[in-house]
Amino acid sequence: MSVLNFLGAAWSFEPWALIFAAALLASYAALPGFRLNGRSLLFSSGVLLMVLTLVSPLDHLGRNYLFSAHMIQHILLLLVIPLMLISGIPESAADKALRLPLAGAVMRFLGNPVPAWLLGVGSMWVWHMPSLHDIVMKNESLYIAQQICFVLSGFIFWWPVFAPARRARLSPLAATLYLASACLGCSILGMLITFAGAGLYPAYANPTDSAGILSYIRNDLCITPGVDQQIGGLTMWVPGCLIYLAASMATLARWYASPEPGPAGIPAVEGPLAKADSYARD
Amino acid sequence: MANNRMIVGFFIASESIFFLMLILAYVNFHGSVTDGPTAANSLNPVVTGIFSLFLFASSFTIWLAGKSLRNKNHLMLKVWILATIVLGAVFIFGQGLEWSGLIEKNITISRNVFGTTFFTLTGFHGFHVCVGLIMLSLLLGLALAGDFKGPKSDAVECISLYWHFVDGVWVVVFSVIYLWAFL
Amino acid sequence: MSSRIPIVPENTIPLPSLKANNGLLSWVASVDHKQIGIMYLIITLVYFLLGGLEALLIRVQLAHPGNDFLTPETYNQLFTMHGTTMIFFVVMPFLIGVGVYLLPLMIGARDMAFPRLNALSFWLFFFGGILLYYSFFTQSGAPDVGWFAYAPLSEKPFSLNKGPTYWALGLLASGIGSVASGLNNVVTILTMRTPGMTMRRIPLFVWMMLVTSLLLVFVIPIITAAFAMMLLDSLLGATFFTPAHGGSAILWQHFFWGFGHPEVYILILPAFGIISEVIPVFSRKPIYGYEFVAASTVAIGLLSLGVWAHHMFAVGLGNVANAYFSLASMLIAIPTGIKVLNWVATMWGGRINFATPMLFATAFIIEFVIGGLTGVAIASVPIDWVVTDSYFIVAHFHYAIFGGSVFAIFAGVYYWFPKFTGRMLSETLGKWHFWLTVIGFNMTFFIQHFLGVMGMPRRTYTYYDMPYWGSMNLISTIGAMILGLSVIVFVWNILASLRHGKPAGDNPWNAWTLEWATTSPAAVENFELVPPVRGRRPLWDLAYPDMPDEPGAKIV
Repeated sequence: MSVLNFLGAAWSFEPWALIFAAALLASYAALPGFRLNGRSLLFSSGVLLMVLTLVSPLDHLGRNYLFSAHMIQHILLLLVIPLMLISGIPESAADKALRLPLAGAVMRFLGNPVPAWLLGVGSMWVWHMPSLHDIVMKNESLYIAQQICFVLSGFIFWWPVFAPARRARLSPLAATLYLASACLGCSILGMLITFAGAGLYPAYANPTDSAGILSYIRNDLCITPGVDQQIGGLTMWVPGCLIYLAASMATLARWYASPEPGPAGIPAVEGPLAKADSYARD
Repeated sequence: MANNRMIVGFFIASESIFFLMLILAYVNFHGSVTDGPTAANSLNPVVTGIFSLFLFASSFTIWLAGKSLRNKNHLMLKVWILATIVLGAVFIFGQGLEWSGLIEKNITISRNVFGTTFFTLTGFHGFHVCVGLIMLSLLLGLALAGDFKGPKSDAVECISLYWHFVDGVWVVVFSVIYLWAFL
Repeated sequence: MSSRIPIVPENTIPLPSLKANNGLLSWVASVDHKQIGIMYLIITLVYFLLGGLEALLIRVQLAHPGNDFLTPETYNQLFTMHGTTMIFFVVMPFLIGVGVYLLPLMIGARDMAFPRLNALSFWLFFFGGILLYYSFFTQSGAPDVGWFAYAPLSEKPFSLNKGPTYWALGLLASGIGSVASGLNNVVTILTMRTPGMTMRRIPLFVWMMLVTSLLLVFVIPIITAAFAMMLLDSLLGATFFTPAHGGSAILWQHFFWGFGHPEVYILILPAFGIISEVIPVFSRKPIYGYEFVAASTVAIGLLSLGVWAHHMFAVGLGNVANAYFSLASMLIAIPTGIKVLNWVATMWGGRINFATPMLFATAFIIEFVIGGLTGVAIASVPIDWVVTDSYFIVAHFHYAIFGGSVFAIFAGVYYWFPKFTGRMLSETLGKWHFWLTVIGFNMTFFIQHFLGVMGMPRRTYTYYDMPYWGSMNLISTIGAMILGLSVIVFVWNILASLRHGKPAGDNPWNAWTLEWATTSPAAVENFELVPPVRGRRPLWDLAYPDMPDEPGAKIV
């Protein structure tokens, strides 16, 4: 099969992905204060990107041929898409939800940084244990569970940093430490995958060439299993970490853009230093 | 003061990186030993597991000590600190037994990379346990001398934070060395 | 909160000075952050002279091809000790020392959060240095394995002498001291600020010290662990880094550069902080884009953790790994470039006063940009393969560390010397020092770029008489001599100004941060009264209450 044919044919519109997307969109439309605006566009692009990640040839590559394609999917589902979804939720909706008893309790639990961090970093580590990954590759329902777990744990991970309700967010310095430590967790895993010898994930060593593009990958692109694993590990390590870094820059930008609480409460001090009047007459 | 707890928090973060490096060195050489002793053929996970339970239990007793202090129960504060010291000492005793057993079988730090990484990792952890025991003994001495009126004490809180950390490191070390080899 | 403002009615306690508090014990036993800071500065000056002397001996040896002024063994010891001294016992402790002196003053605090820990940090640094230099007096001599002590060269059987052991022990001790000062700085900055000094108003030097201190806390343990392993290898026969016994020499490189690359930013970020204080004051404008300078520091700090492998392009990590690290390394140019633009924009349209601190700060921008540009060039893998381990690399990192950190250090010394001592440094001698430094520095190192491209390898005690190599090396050596002369002028300036310098007054530069609101040298209690902080330039707000930096701070 030629590459163009592959790109045209390897779409698999699996119902669970479409149902999951529809459920997300429906619950978004049901939010109080729903309006069609920039935010809802962001949210729906997030959902669209998620559907593309799950049904496009990328998914086919990631499940059959390339660990690196799986890793790109993984980064999109865990880090990029949930961030788009969270940023799409209107602040007013979150404020209202905080006042409802059940939703408020859920959101307060979500806002707790320790479980959120453990979930966000843990889902990377657990799902990439070689033995578990091998099982997942062979088991359809586990695979579905894995993808949904990525999106949900990514959502929970970002919540303490980008929660729509300002009150639920960590302070900017705490958020930077939160993101930097997550970056460390992600780097170490990426590092281990990069520098572990080839063959960590045996499913990709000798894939069944169902679409007939293996020789193109191996011979034309020169992606051997070892190189593939390195690209995967480095994708997790470097671009993955850059996302955390960009997020901490965004937190700092948001912090500096918000107004300073104001000078109230700071006494004007009379005393020896009133002589400072003579300072700086230049 | 929040200062004391904050510096202990950052200190523990710094120490975590230190242990992370030792663990990475262990992981790096795991599987590169082709002959000679390895974790799988020279360690006894059951005995070490039992001694580990003493260390895990000590995390619980130091928590009880803090709780007693908050309730201004000074007698139980001393009792629980003493219990923590005893449990920690039993763990160190167990590690000493394990080490002497290995050394008798001529498995030493210079035998091969397993010996190197194993003794370094467990040795530095044991060193931290010993430092913790010294600090706990000082705490006990001060408590016996009538210090710590409660309900709060930074010394007790910081040392128990450190002790929990030492305990947590052992959870990771035990998983990496013993569980990885035998599960 | 308000109880933290120290209000001392009459300051009758004498200022800390060697004359007033005579007796060495008052210094050795001191836990005062100002005395500890000054001790750091004095000791680093001593090490600066030692490291500089080593550099001059190296340059004399290289003055012409086939020279036998030094034996190969001595040469190896000298370049190892020069690098180690300058990085670990000059630039790093100087910046820590200046931070220790200034941080509490800048945030309006009485002292560091943990004064005794502060003293411990200093003494660990002090004795670590002595341990390292003691190796010169042992039979086998000083360490001779380069400042990165690559395994297996630093291991048995290639290093039978004890030099590398002294090296690891000395650096281990001073490294633990650095972690302790990092911890102390972080807690001080986060908890000891005077009311009104919010995290968004702290001076940029404080902000950069915060990021640097966090790097110290998280990065030094990497090398502490590696030193421990190296010592176990050499003392107990462990096999971490000996390939012959199943160890891995590459692992040492990963550990060393995992620490070593962030270390470069530990050396340069506080220097950025000094520049960000000096340039606004001497341009008579607030810093342009405070937020960008602050946020880009965090970006540099985080990026620095993930790019160490660009020191290892020649090791053979694979093309994919090289490509990713090359890309990530080049990204650091963005936040660094942002800073340079901010400094230039601060100077733009300002009424620039080219006093000596400003001269050094301006030169810093130019020299550091040269070092940064060659850095971007060698972040590219093919270029790195060509020039790695050549004099091009030597030129590159001297532009970054001498042209960057050390120029900033000189700027800082001229700027804060009045605060430290109560006397001004001589401007005449300062200008002599500046021009000799600029000429000597560029003469020494610019030409080394060409030597490197022409293939001259670094870390060799001599070289063949290739076309132009001899004359180019001679030019470099003459430059080094001029640089040595400039240091003599500098030291002379310090000694003369300590005795006869013009009295400085509290705020000789009309600066705006809190350290200038107290006496010079700062009183024992630091402040009689901490001025109210309603913006980023408290002393400006105090002098011009009707034109405050933050509109809301106007007093009606």
